[in-house]
Amino acid sequence: MQAESRIGTLWQQRMAALREYSVVRDGNVFGAGLAGSCLYSSEYDRARSLLAKLLSEYDGASFESLFPGNPIETENGTCLSLENREAFSVPRLDTGRLDAEMLADLTLVKGIGERSAARLRARGCRTIADLANHPRFRHEAREVLDRLSCPDPCGIMDLAGSRHAKSHPFVLGAAGAFAKEDFVFLDIETLGLFSRPIILFGVGTVEGENFVVRQYLLRDIDEEAAALTALSDHFTGERKALVTFNGKAFDLPYVQDRLAYYGIPPVARVPHFDVLHFARRRWKGEYPSCRLGELESAVFGVRRDDDVPGQMVPEFYETYLKTKNCGPLVPIVGHNRQDVVSTARLFFYLLGETCGRC
Amino acid sequence: MAVADVVHLIGTNPVYRSRVACHNIAEPEPAAYGTLDRPLPDALAAYLAHAGIRLYTHQCEAVNLLREEKNVIITTPTASGKTLAFNLPVFERMAADPDARALYLYPTKALANDQLVTLLAMEKFTGISVKPAIYDGDTPQSKRSAIREHARIVISNPYELHQVLSWHGKWSPFFANLEYVVLDEAHKYRGIFGSQIALLVRRLRRVARYYGADPQFVLSSATLANPEEFAAKLTGLPFVQVGSDGSPRGKRHFVLYNPFYDGVGERSAHQESKDLFVSCVKGDLQALCFAGSRKIAELVSLWAKEDLRRSSARLAESVLAYRAGYLPEERRLIESRLKNREIRGVVSTNALELGIDIGSLDAVVIDGYPGTMMSVRQQAGRAGRKAGESLAVLVAQANPLDQYFMHHPDEFFARPHEHAIIDTGNPYIVSGHILCAAAELPLHEEKDREFFGGELSPVLADLAESRLLSRTPRGFVYAGRGRAAEAVTLDGMAAESFRILCEGRVLETMDRAQVYREAHKGAIMLHQGVTYVVNEMDLATHTVRVSETDVDYYTQPLKDTDLSILETLRTCDINGVTCAFGDVEVTERYTAYKIKKGDTVLGVEPLDLPPITFRTKAFWLVVPETIAAPVFSAGLDLAGGLHGAEHALIALMPLFVLCDRWDIGGLSSPAFGENGEPVIFVYDGYEGGIGLAEKAYTLLPELFTRTHGMVRDCTCKKGCPSCIYSPKCGNDNVPLDKEATVMILAGLAAASAGNAAVPETAGSLPGAGPVAQ
Repeated sequence: MQAESRIGTLWQQRMAALREYSVVRDGNVFGAGLAGSCLYSSEYDRARSLLAKLLSEYDGASFESLFPGNPIETENGTCLSLENREAFSVPRLDTGRLDAEMLADLTLVKGIGERSAARLRARGCRTIADLANHPRFRHEAREVLDRLSCPDPCGIMDLAGSRHAKSHPFVLGAAGAFAKEDFVFLDIETLGLFSRPIILFGVGTVEGENFVVRQYLLRDIDEEAAALTALSDHFTGERKALVTFNGKAFDLPYVQDRLAYYGIPPVARVPHFDVLHFARRRWKGEYPSCRLGELESAVFGVRRDDDVPGQMVPEFYETYLKTKNCGPLVPIVGHNRQDVVSTARLFFYLLGETCGRC
Repeated sequence: MAVADVVHLIGTNPVYRSRVACHNIAEPEPAAYGTLDRPLPDALAAYLAHAGIRLYTHQCEAVNLLREEKNVIITTPTASGKTLAFNLPVFERMAADPDARALYLYPTKALANDQLVTLLAMEKFTGISVKPAIYDGDTPQSKRSAIREHARIVISNPYELHQVLSWHGKWSPFFANLEYVVLDEAHKYRGIFGSQIALLVRRLRRVARYYGADPQFVLSSATLANPEEFAAKLTGLPFVQVGSDGSPRGKRHFVLYNPFYDGVGERSAHQESKDLFVSCVKGDLQALCFAGSRKIAELVSLWAKEDLRRSSARLAESVLAYRAGYLPEERRLIESRLKNREIRGVVSTNALELGIDIGSLDAVVIDGYPGTMMSVRQQAGRAGRKAGESLAVLVAQANPLDQYFMHHPDEFFARPHEHAIIDTGNPYIVSGHILCAAAELPLHEEKDREFFGGELSPVLADLAESRLLSRTPRGFVYAGRGRAAEAVTLDGMAAESFRILCEGRVLETMDRAQVYREAHKGAIMLHQGVTYVVNEMDLATHTVRVSETDVDYYTQPLKDTDLSILETLRTCDINGVTCAFGDVEVTERYTAYKIKKGDTVLGVEPLDLPPITFRTKAFWLVVPETIAAPVFSAGLDLAGGLHGAEHALIALMPLFVLCDRWDIGGLSSPAFGENGEPVIFVYDGYEGGIGLAEKAYTLLPELFTRTHGMVRDCTCKKGCPSCIYSPKCGNDNVPLDKEATVMILAGLAAASAGNAAVPETAGSLPGAGPVAQ
């Protein structure tokens, strides 16, 4: 049928018309307010010229020379792992202070709201322990005391999350019960907003005095299943907790969706701390936005040069696929690694504030 | 008064009597009750007993077949209890298997709401926990995950399913246990839209298969010429039809009513429809009047209210308008008030033609032939109680098609049902769904051929070449930039919604074409009988501001349609006629509007609106002097001949390219372009084209020969609905000249116009048979 030869082109044109972001005039605050779907035209222009620069700079450079990594064998094929270590110090936490604060929060007991708590305090009940024999609240109070005395962070997260907002410091504070090696920091780069391949997985872990970022970078789309499997392996083992920035809405469901796509079992359900939520509660209104890039520069003074805006990662990666020039991958890999590192730093910073550093 | 009295009035009142072209009476039919192969579970039997329901033959037949795990298409008329026929076996299965799930798909949201109410009532009475829920664009985010996990009957629509399939991971318990899929009002899924749905159904079956499920399908549909073939095409599965109706029918009167019986017509058909409708309401009947457009529905309702107010204010209050564009709450209120008999009459667009449960009415007035016999029967079927008489009146417009039926009532009543045509091989459509399927699960060239047919391999190669798919060891993986389900639109229409605001309150919503037609600056808009004038139309913000007004006139826009050739891609010569295929742009301009009171034009005001343009693919033919000259010299009308030939080509094209005639547009001109040549265009009714004109272009010689034979052999004298009258003509079938048409088609087919001895070709084509378009 004569239609076929043109069908690929036809769909390509239709896809090109479906931009998942729009470019707005600089300073158009209204346009930029539509979370993440807009780019200022100066950012866009800068990224386009970066792309052109990369293509000429890395023309002919081999993949291996730019991204020396180790191949990882999985049951679903091979993928490449790039490893990066940097010195990293985790604050020592004073978990005792948080425990005391929680014990003093009478509203953790089911049936006690702010007003009842005030009344009870006026009658001399200072901590939940004081309610252990209260005629009305003793059962509920004992339940809470059991939870607090047991070092299971999930129980504490549930308790705090059910009585307070999910972004309450007590919920974050439950992380204090984990060892620093238990945390898996995750950030992904994709070809779009859902239902398309993930092209880069950044996984950070604390190993001794170092922070190690392992990045599974797809040399081609056919390595996605292997990379997903490599990622899943990080969640097996005794005690694990996932830490992301906006991962509750994006990274984790995206990963689960892609696993389902390939028929690979979902990653194990582990406690998940989404730093975005805690950051919003902590800094809302202080900075123009609570985007990761905004916070890392405001809190830690991090500056990114030659960064690729997140929305433009798909076209950078597509350019690599089309031209086989690895240049466009350079800022994607750097961007992703920085995201993982900043997520971890923000997480420990907030956790330190919550628990109190020693 | 009763139906008989109104029928008597129509038969004796001199004004009415003279306009009756035919009065057809269908004698009452008693109920035919059936038996089930084995009894229903107690809870369901008790439910039927409580509701006083005894099952008719067709319901039993459907239940028996569904229990045998057959796929069933039920085609009995409106209000014959089709819904119960599939709800019973679904509930039975749900009771027997606590994990079983079912998916009910409806073409509109209003129908989904209706079904939810029914299912909730059945669940409550029987205690069989089916947890029905609607999952569509209006479902709040917060409720979605609970519905996915707990609802056992999910009610949705094709547009939502199209989006949902790529999220199958979240729906895995649902798909893994999917036992029934119900497609209600399935006749809506025909032509190009039907072809899109057919591929969507294949994607659904593919995802279900992945989770180990192989659901059974139930289709409910208006009566069709080819139900089993249609159902099999739509789903890719074998089907059994249940079509012989066992429900009782009272005596039914069907009147063909011609306001133009004297060739002049004192008043418009709309005014006459209003009179009949008012007579029904005054005669104590519950009546429904179907109007051809939203505006006419509002006008007829307004006029009827005015008339009724003269005899009783209360009676005037009992008449309402109903149409798309009303807010859902407003519509639901009208539906329930109609059902509870709190209101006497509703003037509606075809929105009430579908199976929304409004109970059965006494009388239906159809203001103009609605375009298909399927619609006539669906609309007329709204009248008819189980016992007692009912009345349906078709009021003819002045156009030749309606008039033809008035003069040939026997043909009208004997007219065959329409064929519902579906093409699962259209490369444009298949390729889009292959992209979506590859975004749902990796595609396997061998395994998935079952779903996508012979087109799969070449399309896969082409899409991989364009990097939209990536070839991996696990199959083809979607890797395009945009979301596949977003790039593929099921009905080919960009959803642009304009809000109509009155003092800051949203009165209704409209799409762009409607806003141009009905809500341009200065337009008088009607909403539930209240008159509004449009003060401002802001195209940039998609907002129209109106204010209430008190005028007794209404407005009617004047439209020009124009076509220009953008690029000629191919040309050829067929029997000395230059034929071409290429890109065209169709432009519609609203240039002015008429101010009318009743049927009188009070004035014409200019309009300044940007044109609506639409690019598509067309084939066209330039009629040479050798064909045109003899038409002139015979004293015939060339324009009428070209127009007739255009209609006839469009009428037969669906047999060659597998679509519905409503998917194709046409335009003819005796003097087109700079050279002023006579030209006929036939184009795809979809932005960008969808392969119809393209395929027809390769089949032109056969199309010409067949079309010529069809018109020449038609026994009518001046044209009829079976040859050159089109039910969707924008110019009301004017001008038409059958003799000139035959001469032109003969030239195209290089045949002699007078030669009747051409071998019979019917039957040699797939789907050829009675042309019931």
